[in-house]
Formats: sequence, C-alpha cells, structure tokens
Amino acid sequence: MSGKERLSPEAQGYLDGEPAGDIGPEDRQAADQFEQAVQAYAGRLQTPDASVDRAVMAAVRAEARGPRRQSVWQWLVSPHPYSVRPALVAAAAVALIVLGRLLIDIPGIEFGDRPAQLAPEAQATILVRFELRAPDADRVTLAGSFNEWSPEGVELVRNSATGMWTATVPLEPGQHEYLFVIDGSQWIPDPNAHAQVDDGFGQANSVIVVGPRGVVRS
Amino acid sequence: MRHSFLVIGLVAAGGMLASPGAAAAQDVRAQLLERGAPAEFADQVAAIVANAGAEQLPTEPLVSKALEGWAKRARVPQGRVITALNQYVVRLQTGRDIAVAAGLDPVPGPVVAAAAEAVGRGMTGEQVEEVMGSASEPQAAATGLTVASALMAQGLEAEAAIRVVGDAFRRGRAPEEVLEFPSALTGLQAQGEDMAQIARRIMQGGGLPSPTAPGMGGRGNRPQTVPGISGEGQKKKKGASGGQ
Amino acid sequence: MSEMGSQSDAVLVRRILAGEVELYQVLVERYRLEFGRYATAMLGGDVDDAADAQQEAFIRAYRSLASCREPEKFKAWLFRIVSNQCHNTRRGRRKHVRLDRVQDPPDESTQRQLEANEIGQAIQTALDDLTTEQREAFVLKHVEGYSYAEMAALLEVGEDALKMRVHRARDELQRRLEGLR
Repeated sequence: MSGKERLSPEAQGYLDGEPAGDIGPEDRQAADQFEQAVQAYAGRLQTPDASVDRAVMAAVRAEARGPRRQSVWQWLVSPHPYSVRPALVAAAAVALIVLGRLLIDIPGIEFGDRPAQLAPEAQATILVRFELRAPDADRVTLAGSFNEWSPEGVELVRNSATGMWTATVPLEPGQHEYLFVIDGSQWIPDPNAHAQVDDGFGQANSVIVVGPRGVVRS
Repeated sequence: MRHSFLVIGLVAAGGMLASPGAAAAQDVRAQLLERGAPAEFADQVAAIVANAGAEQLPTEPLVSKALEGWAKRARVPQGRVITALNQYVVRLQTGRDIAVAAGLDPVPGPVVAAAAEAVGRGMTGEQVEEVMGSASEPQAAATGLTVASALMAQGLEAEAAIRVVGDAFRRGRAPEEVLEFPSALTGLQAQGEDMAQIARRIMQGGGLPSPTAPGMGGRGNRPQTVPGISGEGQKKKKGASGGQ
Repeated sequence: MSEMGSQSDAVLVRRILAGEVELYQVLVERYRLEFGRYATAMLGGDVDDAADAQQEAFIRAYRSLASCREPEKFKAWLFRIVSNQCHNTRRGRRKHVRLDRVQDPPDESTQRQLEANEIGQAIQTALDDLTTEQREAFVLKHVEGYSYAEMAALLEVGEDALKMRVHRARDELQRRLEGLR
C-alpha cells in the first residue's frame, strides 16, 4: 500500500483538515488510507444503549426521593460537633444492654465498645469506651482530635480494685487521634488503639476508626 | 501586640479578610491565646492558617494540629509546631492537586484532608487517585482514603489496603460499612491471623468481614445488618427496642 | 450546534437543580450518545464497560450537579467526569482488547470482515498502548469528529498541544497498520 511507516507533516496537516495545498500524491494516498482505516474502526464502535438512561434515572429518582441531594455536601462542609445531653447518655446505657443482646457474636470477634443509638439529633454519635491500666496515676484524662486536644476535656474514672481507668465517650463515626494524659503531664498512647501514627512532631498518636457499629480493639 | 498588628496587616494587605481562612485564623489565634500561648506563636499559626484558607485548603486540620502542638508544649517546642504546620500545608496542597487530577472540582475539604493524610502515611499519588476513583462520591472518597490509611497504619501493605477498600466500593458497600474495616482487621488479628495472610487473601479477591458477620468477606458477602444499629433498620428497630 | 446545545444545557441544569429531576434524562440521553463511542474506544472497544462507566459518571454528575458552577459549560464539566470514570474503569478492571465486542456490519463478506477485524484490532491495540492523553485526543478527533477548537474547549488544553498528541497517535497507528500491509 502506501509503504509509509510515518505520516509526513503534509499528510498530518491534510488529516487535520488544513487545505490540501501542495500535498504530493503519495502523501495524500497515505493520508486517505489512514483515514479510511480509522473510519472503518470508528464505524464499528458501539454506543451504550438506553439501558444506561434507565439505570441512571432509577438512581437519580431514588436519591431525589431520599435525603436531599445537597445534604452530602452540607454534611461535608459543616462541622460535626457532638453533643449528648446527660439524659441521653443514660438512655444510651440502656440501649447498650439491649444492643448487647442483639449483636451477633462470633468467636474471637466482639465489639468491646458496644455502640448505641442515641436520639435522632445525635444519631451519628457512637459511644466508645476507653480504658487504661494505670494503678499509680492520680488522674487520667483523654485528649484528642475530638476535643480539640484539651487535656482537661475527658476525665477517666478509676476502678481502685483493678487499677483500670475508664471513660465512655460519644464519638462520630470516622477516624480519631488521641492520647491519654496522666497527672496532667505525661502523654501516653493507647495500647488498644487500632494503630499508632506519627503526630508530625516526631512522636506518636493513637488512632481509632469508629464505624457505625462501634469499635473492635485488641 | 506588635505581632498581632503585623498579622492583621498581612492579612488585610493580602485581601484575605474575606477569604475562608480569615475567620479560622482569627479563631485559632484566639483559642491559642486563651490557652496561654504567646502572641508571637499564635500569630505565626494564624498566618499559616490564613494563607492556607486563601489557597482554598481546608483549615480545620491545621487548626486541630496547632492546638495539639500547643497542648503538647511540654515536649514539643513551638518551632517544631510551626515546622509541622508548614509541612502539613504542603501535604494538603499535594492532596488537593491529586484530587483535582482525579477530576474532582471543586474538591471538598474533607477529601483534601484525607488525601493529605494518606500521602503522609506513605501512599503514592497514584494510589490516592485509585482509592478516589473507586468511590462514587466525595464523601466516600474521603472515607475510603481514611480507612485505607488506617489499615496501612495497622500494618497492612498499601496494595492490599487500597484493594480491599476499592473492591468494597465497587461491590456497592456504603462508606459507613468501610469504616468498620479497621475493626475487622483487629478482629482477624485477635483470631490469630497475621497480616501477610490477611493481605494475601485480600489480594486473591476476598474482602474483610464485617466484625459482626461470620465467615470471610468474599464476593457478595455483605455484612449482616444488625437491627437497631445501622442502615435502614435503625429507625424501625429503635422504636421497637426503645419499648423493651 | 454547540452554542445552542450549551444554552439548552444550562437551562436544563438550572431547572433540574430547582427540582425538575426528570429533565436529567434529557441530558443523560444527549451525552450518552455524544460521548458513547468515545467511552467505548477508551475502554478497549468494550461497550459493556462503556455503559458501566457512563452510568457511574452520570450518577456521579447528578450528585454533584450543584457544584457545576458554570452550567453553560456543562458539557465540558460532564466530559471531565466521563473521561475520569473511563480512566478509573480502565485502571480498575485492567481490561484488554475486547474486539469480539466490536460489531461487524452484517453485509460484509467473510474475507472483508476478517480484514476489517484485523485492522480494527490493530487500531484498538495501538490505541490501548498510547498514553491516556494521546488516546483521548485521537478518539475525540477521529472517532467523535471534533475540531481542535472544540477539543481545546472540552479538555482545556491548547490546540497546539492537542495537535501534537493527535500526530503522535497517528504515527503510532500508522506504524501498526503498515505492519499489517
């Protein structure tokens, strides 16, 4: 056929739709052949059929009927302060017991921190239990991304018989970084956290990822 | 005092008073001063936050990191905090650039923050893009990145972490379900499985189980919905359990 | 056409955002057809993958329709989403050439079909070996028949750069085609 492995600049220009001008017959033949082959290929390509439209519209209608479309965006850009009224915490404690029975248990995998459905306005909040064995501590608090790293934020309660300090904290689903603070000055990672990560200051933070059903920790 | 005027001057000169970062800058400055931070430090932080906001970067993670740094002042010098914040800004810029390259426009702040975190934990730009690409919408992209980063921090190799999140999205799992993967991974470890085994299974197409579901999370093995805890059943069951 | 089209797109987008959800179907059909062969060509000739990619892209576009700041440029905005979805689908599924999916017109003789298949296969294989940018530019130019100006508006890339991508793609394809002759 044309025998050309590369198209000349003239042939390229011709294929680009520039005026044929002084393109030689050989280049023109190469360009025509190329165009013909490509058009044959293009003519065989199929276009997706109308089932796409039906599937898209089914999804769109479902969304339009469901939560408002912009809610995701609003959710993304709005802050998510968690606030739980004390009465709700009591209600949640009851719910914890109920949910404890409802959860499907499998050997070896159990939720250490049973989540609770709170009230509609606090629906995204999950109760997560933190614990640390520190028999010699006088005071243990929890500081993390969920309380603007305030060492005064969450006080843990001591069980004097076991030396365990515990606190149950309402958290939103998602990732949280935190540390325990012993006696107001000693920052300690949580050995039961999902992971320890670099805090950017050359030290470590503990990380947990809270799912809608709570947290499983070692 | 001199420094606060300097910052206000800089901010005003840059036309940033109306920028999204200006309010956050003022806020973090006020919070730091309230917590006893020196004005010079608060001003430096505010300037970083204001500049990030003017660049349309999310300021919330920077504010949180600054407060964290100040809270840890007993063992983290102020200069180290400023350095860390500047490094964080660079990661946020990288995260934003990757998201833009992946076709998100505009890029929601949580996606930028999650991408920055993923990069900080060692994910490559291509891997971040891959996770974003598997998600159906920005919220899912942010969650997917957060979860993949967490799985990596737990010791799962990057390829497996990305694969398990991407497969879950492709199989129609909701972002909330994916948030359970770190718990599932911990659960498997508690059962005596090592990371290499888990990674191998993921790469062979098996997912992670829901922490409450029996068996392994192979194809089509959706987590069981526990009434009263998640999904559609929530509201109905809540009423029912509330009456118990 | 594009001017009329984009004006009508903008009107549709605004009405959809105001609550007339059903109007979205007009946009879906319009751009399923307009970007259909592009998607198929970008996905190794597999029309099923193209349908999946389009479906995901259109749903994704609907979800973020409110963020389409310039409804007059809806087409370019949507194209970015479709294009991105095609890249992701391609990467996610690691598809190889699926020319069995490229349909043959029924009236061709067997010999001509074989030849045409061979050429089609060579072109698709060559396309799959190009860089994403070159493949995209080539497909828009030769499959969808866009002018360089239209491509520049769609991709937000200069015309000279696009020409260069198309020329390189043609050279590679020409090399493969000559190998067959």
